[in-house]
Amino acid sequence: MMSYRAFQTGWGGLVALFLLFLPMIVPEMKIHLATEILIFALFGISFNLLLGYTGLLPFGYAALFGVGAYAAALMFNHLPGTPLVVTLLIAALAGLLTAIFIGSFCVRLRGTYFALLTLAFQMFLYTVAMKWRDVTNGDDGMGVIRPEIDLPGFGNLSLMNINNLYYVTLLIVVLGILAAYLFLKTPLGNAVICMRENDERASFLGYNVFLTKLTVFSFAGFLAGAAGGLFVLFQEFVSTTTIDVHMSFTIVLMVIIGGKDRFLGPVIGATFFLLFQDWISDVTVYWWLFMGLFFIVVVLYLEGGLISLLNLDRVWLWVNRQEK
Amino acid sequence: MTLLRLQEIFKDFSGLQVLFGISLDVTEGERHAIIGPNGAGKSTLFNLITGLYKPSSGNIFFSDKDITGWPVHRIARTGISRSFQVINIFPEMTLFENVRNAIVSKVNRRFNWGSLLNRSEDIQEESDRIIELIGLTDVRDSPVSELSYGKQRQLELALTLARDPVLIMLDEPTAGLDSEETRAFVQLIKQVTEKKTLVVVEHDMDVVFDLADRITVINYGKVLATGSPDEIRENEEVKEAYLGGK
Repeated sequence: MMSYRAFQTGWGGLVALFLLFLPMIVPEMKIHLATEILIFALFGISFNLLLGYTGLLPFGYAALFGVGAYAAALMFNHLPGTPLVVTLLIAALAGLLTAIFIGSFCVRLRGTYFALLTLAFQMFLYTVAMKWRDVTNGDDGMGVIRPEIDLPGFGNLSLMNINNLYYVTLLIVVLGILAAYLFLKTPLGNAVICMRENDERASFLGYNVFLTKLTVFSFAGFLAGAAGGLFVLFQEFVSTTTIDVHMSFTIVLMVIIGGKDRFLGPVIGATFFLLFQDWISDVTVYWWLFMGLFFIVVVLYLEGGLISLLNLDRVWLWVNRQEK
Repeated sequence: MTLLRLQEIFKDFSGLQVLFGISLDVTEGERHAIIGPNGAGKSTLFNLITGLYKPSSGNIFFSDKDITGWPVHRIARTGISRSFQVINIFPEMTLFENVRNAIVSKVNRRFNWGSLLNRSEDIQEESDRIIELIGLTDVRDSPVSELSYGKQRQLELALTLARDPVLIMLDEPTAGLDSEETRAFVQLIKQVTEKKTLVVVEHDMDVVFDLADRITVINYGKVLATGSPDEIRENEEVKEAYLGGK
């Protein structure tokens, strides 16, 4: 009988191989889609650190994504020689600093008040992006040129090649998701889960509720900022759509549809959401109507989201029964 | 030596006066019960000492430190630990994980992000020691929401003790238990809090006289009397205000 551990590793290996060889399997258009899915997977994982693990639902989460996006776009345009890693790190840091600022007001609150105050900050930043035309070019947005990266051993790789961009995105997203995963396994990550479970009792055990929530909010902002930076690199364009209400609610929908109770739920959510959007927007212009209906169905009848349908434990039991 | 000293504590909630100048000393090693009718201000007093509320005026000293107005988590870290009248645990975790949360805090690794929690053997061993002490080893890995009420009460006590506090404050520890369970639970409290300083709020007079070696009676936000169990039993004022009703 195969051990559960080996079974899990096997599945992980298959997924890894699939992602590595994807550009050889599917046409280029689908690699565009896959890159976008990866970016939103990271964005969703960072969002779910708050929703699923801390028990905080931010309605204005695009603020952190958008600040990262604008930071990256400004770097690409004004300091074009900067190594890509540095630019993305600055995007992530912009997300982090914004999160520290917004978070220091918001994480004192709970529930609806927390949700709405984050929304207020996002609306504020949206207005800045809209009105500060000298820097952001307002609602016309800014085009950016994807840089070349100098990889030792490979020479200069052009990110205009979508396959190269896909691999760069894959690497960064996997590192980001891994960081989030390991974070949750540390004592600090456990403290974050205590905030969701019962922050009052936690404080009576000596946990500093404000600082713990601010820390996870900032870490989420770091990852969201990085995702925003990748999104600009992918779109070759930044505009207020990266920081508007629509973006904020898209990520809420993605994560809830995917499932907030399991770590990879947001990845499933991003994958489904963007695949569905890609397919149905060919069929009808009213695709949001169908997404909305789907959301209602999930909320009513599938509390754990789509990932609750994917139960590896059950597959494992089934496989073992076949072997006997 | 006085461990905890309340000095002329007043508390009002937006105009509603609840405590009128409470002064109280708890000596190290003492088992101090606070009793009084409903609405006397016992719970408010508990919440003031542990930092959930700030007094309107007056000071609270703990080991000669003025802790008045300190935030909850700082008071907890300085060695005051409390339990709750209504079960207050981490509902979606196992018993082991519940206790572990307290141990992580005890060893000051709340902010550690450089190690993996399930590889931290010292934390695991200490958690298991507390679970064994409280007698819950057989349900170590059960989700706490599936435990019986009595076992949740035991966990409530375990979470309070796990930090190895200097002062243990129990808020109606036997609330909701039947008389059989109460008797066993009082034995457990005695056993695990031996040689520690204990402050307990309790309605069950059998429990109070069994546990406490000093009793303070509070009525309408004032200290009515304080003394040994025998003194309290014989006190005319107390009989009239509280015990007399029985």
